[in-house]
Amino acid sequence: MRFSASLALLLSLSALHAEVAMTTEAPASTVRCVYSGTDGHCVEPVLKSGRELVITVLGQGVAPSVTASPAQAYALAKRSAIADGYRQIAERVRGVQVEGQDSVKNMMLVQSSTRTSVEATVRGANILNTTFKEGLCEVEMEIALSYTQFSR
Amino acid sequence: MRSRNGNCPFVYAIFSLAAALSLLADDYLIGYRLTTRNAQIIDESLTVSKAMLPCPRDQKTPLLLRRENNETIERLLKREQTLFLEYASVQPIRLKSNETLNGTDIKSLQTLTLPTQCYAVEFNDRLVTITLLQHNNEK
Repeated sequence: MRFSASLALLLSLSALHAEVAMTTEAPASTVRCVYSGTDGHCVEPVLKSGRELVITVLGQGVAPSVTASPAQAYALAKRSAIADGYRQIAERVRGVQVEGQDSVKNMMLVQSSTRTSVEATVRGANILNTTFKEGLCEVEMEIALSYTQFSR
Repeated sequence: MRSRNGNCPFVYAIFSLAAALSLLADDYLIGYRLTTRNAQIIDESLTVSKAMLPCPRDQKTPLLLRRENNETIERLLKREQTLFLEYASVQPIRLKSNETLNGTDIKSLQTLTLPTQCYAVEFNDRLVTITLLQHNNEK
């Protein structure tokens, strides 16, 4: 009796888990991934056939300390933020090349340096939203990747 | 008098006029480069040069800019740089980024480049029409 009850509980739990898994699976053909370089909470989605992957990034730029007008400060900070957004998109799509160098002297770490670089060509990125507050401009950008772009 | 095709002659006339004007436009090569260090712009350049050879007429949607006091294309683009960059950024953008972490010192250097492309520029009295003519990567 106790065995059959535990078996029924186990079966109901597995069925419930299966239902939750089915409901959490994205039914739409677009997979969204929010990534801001600082939160790092994005789970890496996989680009599948017939689906579109949308990557959203948040580029940040700072206005120069010396500008002719607040409008110029805004324009320059926005351009810098757009460049940062493009960098994040390139890092997400193309990947980052990382080089590390540690110098050890007499069994002690003397110097440690890390160098990251990315070089890419980006097309089709869109600016979704722009905010400017206290000299910091944030630009939300997105790029839609389709399976056919990479399967050519 | 209205033709049997309704307003079609007017449409043809407008299209033929636009085509003729686009053939009369001058071709310019325009490129853009932006360099930022630690999220601040340190260098920005917009280069404009008249094309020595006519460009292929593979036209995209034009950009209309207001012209003040017969200003040159260089002055106009400097004044309306943001609008032009938004228009030109439909083409592929090259990005090169380097970041160095040395102890607690972080340095970042980014270069964003809009490759030099050919644009048809047509001057009118108070309006300038700029049209992207070709995409190098699509050829």
